Amino acid sequence: MRKFWLLPIKLSMLLVLTTATGNAAALPEDPLNSVMWENMAQRFFPGEVVIDQRVVVLSPHEAEDQMQVPVTVDATQLENVVEIVALADLNPIPHILTVKPLQAQAFVGFRVKLEQSTPIRVGVLTSDGVWHVNGVIVNAAGGGCSAPASAHGTSNWYKTLGQARGLARRDGTDAARLSLRMRHPMDTGLAPGIPVFYMNKLLVKSADGVDLADVELFEPISENPTLTLKPLVSNEAEDLLVYARDTEGNEFEFALEVPAMADN
Amino acid sequence: MLSLMAGGAACACCGLVHAKKLAYDLTVREIASGTWLVEGRSEYFSLENGGNIVNIAFIEVPDGVVVIDSGPSRRYGEALQALIESTVPGKPVLRVYNTHHHPDHFLGNQVFDPGVIAAPQQVIDNIIAEGDAFADNMYRLLGDWMRGTAVMAPAVAIDTDFEDVGGRRFSLYHLSGHTSADLVIRDDETGVVFTGDLAFLHRAPTTPHADITTWQESLGSIASIDRDLLVPGHGALDSSGESIEQTRDYIHWLEASLTDATSLGLTMNEAMVLPIPKRFASMSVVETEYQRSVVHLYLQLEDSVMPLIELK
Repeated sequence: MRKFWLLPIKLSMLLVLTTATGNAAALPEDPLNSVMWENMAQRFFPGEVVIDQRVVVLSPHEAEDQMQVPVTVDATQLENVVEIVALADLNPIPHILTVKPLQAQAFVGFRVKLEQSTPIRVGVLTSDGVWHVNGVIVNAAGGGCSAPASAHGTSNWYKTLGQARGLARRDGTDAARLSLRMRHPMDTGLAPGIPVFYMNKLLVKSADGVDLADVELFEPISENPTLTLKPLVSNEAEDLLVYARDTEGNEFEFALEVPAMADN
Repeated sequence: MLSLMAGGAACACCGLVHAKKLAYDLTVREIASGTWLVEGRSEYFSLENGGNIVNIAFIEVPDGVVVIDSGPSRRYGEALQALIESTVPGKPVLRVYNTHHHPDHFLGNQVFDPGVIAAPQQVIDNIIAEGDAFADNMYRLLGDWMRGTAVMAPAVAIDTDFEDVGGRRFSLYHLSGHTSADLVIRDDETGVVFTGDLAFLHRAPTTPHADITTWQESLGSIASIDRDLLVPGHGALDSSGESIEQTRDYIHWLEASLTDATSLGLTMNEAMVLPIPKRFASMSVVETEYQRSVVHLYLQLEDSVMPLIELK
């Protein structure tokens, strides 16, 4: 009697296994144990997925300010990085940003708004088509994405739209450390009465116009987006050009000088 | 320090792990004539301590009792009220001061007569503006300890430099820096000075609303007050002025170290793992508070350290 009872279960398990192997490869178990893992992987990491500790994701366990949760991703232990995708599984809009480090180290720092406690998950695509995934869980108070930006507390925020602050330092002989902060409300469209309006593109170029890093930003990036990138440079002093654009087509451009190796 | 877990441990043997009754096991210590301290633990908010991390005090004056801050929750306020009643039986509470608007200092207000609760107008404004968000976060951090707690702003705005309460004179210092309004209270009879959170001792200072420059000036003002004893908002009692020196030293280091980190272009996460000098190792929860402070101070520091760039 017991065997009869078990039989259908075994069959259904076989079925599940077959379907799973029908995909490119079975999805590894999620170390963060998130209910959204399969969904996130399907939407954002098409292809082979491995959990990889070489993708270092830094973020505090407790978010002190759910409007400004700092995240730093260092995937420089991986070779041939094509793309870095950062997600907050349980945000109403999970996609935070995508960075293509075309001629840059596989490194990015940014700040994110969190609607609730969530995994912060990062997938790093290498040129062999494999997604290297890692992440951390951040506990947060609620409401980061549906609260109005602080800019809306003032009547003339648009006058400083795009205002940029920045630092270009040398990071060793062949890279710069570029820290940027630009004024933008980064409205998610989820706060009552405030339509979606955010900076959605940032490009770092060399002085002769070669793209070094290509960043796509999404709604969860914090107000006044702050980015840290490490574009590759020569050991001479050189200008880096930054080009940014928002969802209303406003364009912002500025230049920053990286000091020569000798003067750093 | 205090063993809140004793009750829970006793229940574990009969399997009633969920039956632990939440109770603040508050005790008092007479630190000066007719002045009692209810010392908080040198910890961060947790489900275990129920937010009992703050130094609360009460003073017997000729006609009643004066209370300095009211604690993190309604439940704490009730325990405090019972403790006052058993320590100074039959005397009415004539005044409750709220030194500033952080939740562990005013969320016990509900149990007192609204007409006796006093603070500078700016503290009242801050409680009205941010109190509900604080309370939300305290419910998240402390759970059932917070049951029934609601924000009650002080009804009495004080703007004078002293106040006579029930036959005792208190000097009032309207300072700021830990927040935009910090009240320091001196009992002119005993010379005990209650610093609120402008001073900490052997417990890392907190900075969510800090302005370091103003804070340093306020510490200078406290140092010049004639006194017999300092009661910091958190941490140990101070008869030598060590809390002033330690707080000055720590917030000075914090600002200098994070200014360096910002000017090097470090991310907040990179700054969070910078080493903390050994001289601060005696402070409890210093790693946690340092990491929180990075988030609090970095945005202001970026404004002053990162140059503005002209757009093309």
